[in-house]
Amino acid sequence: MIKFDNISKRYADGQEALVDVSFEVSRGELAFITGHSGAGKSTLLKLILAIESPSSGQLIANGINLSRISSKQIALHRRQIGTVFQDHQLLHDRSVFDNVALPLEICGYHPTDAGRRVRAALDKVGLLKKEKSFPAALSGGEQQRVGIARAVVNRPRIILADEPTGNLDPALSREVIEVFEQFQSVGVCLLVASHDASLVERLNCRTLVLDSGRLIADQKPRPDS
Amino acid sequence: MSVSKRSQAAAPKPQVKSRPKPNTRVGRNESFSDLLQIHRRLAKNSGRRLVQTPVSSFITVFVIAVSLLLPALLFSLNSNLTSVLAGFEDSAQVTLYLHAGISDADAKEVSNDLLSLETMNYASYISPAQALDEFGTATGLENLLQEMASNPLPGAIVVTPANVSPTAVDDLVRQLQDLPEVDLVQIDSRWLQRLAAISELVGAIGRVLSLIVILGLFFIVGNTIKLAVENRKAEIRVIKLVGGSDMFAARAFLYTGLFYGLGGGILAIALQGIVLVTFNSSLEALMQLYEGDFQLRGFSLANGLVVVLAGATIGWTAALLTSLRHIRGISP
Ligand SMILES: Nc1ncnc2c1ncn2[C@@H]1O[C@H](COP(=O)(O)OP(=O)(O)OP(=O)(O)O)[C@@H](O)[C@H]1O
Ligand SMILES: [Mg+2]
Repeated sequence: MIKFDNISKRYADGQEALVDVSFEVSRGELAFITGHSGAGKSTLLKLILAIESPSSGQLIANGINLSRISSKQIALHRRQIGTVFQDHQLLHDRSVFDNVALPLEICGYHPTDAGRRVRAALDKVGLLKKEKSFPAALSGGEQQRVGIARAVVNRPRIILADEPTGNLDPALSREVIEVFEQFQSVGVCLLVASHDASLVERLNCRTLVLDSGRLIADQKPRPDS
Repeated sequence: MSVSKRSQAAAPKPQVKSRPKPNTRVGRNESFSDLLQIHRRLAKNSGRRLVQTPVSSFITVFVIAVSLLLPALLFSLNSNLTSVLAGFEDSAQVTLYLHAGISDADAKEVSNDLLSLETMNYASYISPAQALDEFGTATGLENLLQEMASNPLPGAIVVTPANVSPTAVDDLVRQLQDLPEVDLVQIDSRWLQRLAAISELVGAIGRVLSLIVILGLFFIVGNTIKLAVENRKAEIRVIKLVGGSDMFAARAFLYTGLFYGLGGGILAIALQGIVLVTFNSSLEALMQLYEGDFQLRGFSLANGLVVVLAGATIGWTAALLTSLRHIRGISP
């Protein structure tokens, strides 16, 4: 589903964010990306979303070669991916409901059908009561969960999450991970960037470890649990 | 992947297409009422944004209205001239003043000869005595004139040509000038030809001005939309991040452009009305001098509709082109 082949990313200012990274994540797999701040986790996810393009190497996601993607294809490509952004990226002049409905609106869903899906997604993250609120009136953790609801509402094939539990307490974090695991069980491919080491440790999932842009470890889950 | 969940999910395109027809519509807004709902919402949002900044919105609408007003006034002036001309069209009159000393009988014969020509609609002889009579009645100098020893007025034949185009009339005049009995030929409707030429000029200026105004409106609306796109950069970025196309992001601005154009068009009609009413009162005074009952028209429904439609079309198109261009430049 996602395949990195000797990917390097150097930003315009010369910053080497990723160096020669190769790995593959398949459908039905939930993988974590960890590493220190500035290790290149967000950059890696941005490459998959075609927000940034790799400086060298070949990147294939959802069957599309992202080194050779046209701007028209980019929009279509992103519609197949649900993303939780590190900085939430919510629309501040729209209600929680409308924010979560945005991907459905873009795909052209029937309003009543969309409404059902939006409420189901909000229910999953425990925000059903806040559907009429505006993002500015929500706590950081609540905003984060709106972002998670928006990422899953369209039942995408790939879910990317950048620090989805950064603002959440342990109980909420566990709930969010449970939502992710539900999607994993129906064949969705998930890639979660997190520096919450204890959470990652506890979960016993596949873990990719980045250090200064290099992939220094690819830990498979321990078979004993 | 489990099959049951998969079929509910936003499935890949080929799978959706191969399904029987009724199912392809599930979850897709293709019905008319859905579209209506979406457009009502877009229109409402655009309208709300315009009302939120009333002063700058009004300034834009006003500038559009004034731009539309100039060609609209020219065209209405022109259509007035044209209608004046149409009223006089078949009255191109030519008067032939005869040499002194031509007898009434001879003159009548000439007149009858002229009437028998195909190029002539009407010909009538006015004898010197008749002319004097009419002049006396018109001026109120009958008594004075009766005391004159001899009649100074020549006989005249008034003719109306069948073909009233300027060249045809000129040809005819040359022909008539050659008649031995004729002293002087005078076209009574020269002013009509001048008016026709002026009307043509006004029309041409109007067309050129329209082109310039259309270009100008594109810049005005385009610049306003550019600022609107700039103001909503963050929102457009989010839309792009979750897979919205440029066109999807542009939709929000189309109604803005449309509303600017519509508002400008409607205001232009109102301003045109004010201008015409103001002109009409002074024109009435002028027309009374000429004993005419001529009124400035140009406030026809069709005329107004053209102005509003032109405004709306230009506004919408300019919004589409500029918003797409600027949205393309925004990257997440
Ligand atoms: N747009 C950019 N232009 C230049 N350099 C950038 C840009 N974005 C990121 N970088 C640099 O690339 C490196 C990796 O950044 P990235 O955001 O991927 O780190 P991260 O692992 O997500 O960190 P964090 O855990 O703090 O979110 C950093 O050194 C950062 O300064
Ligand atoms: Mg990051």
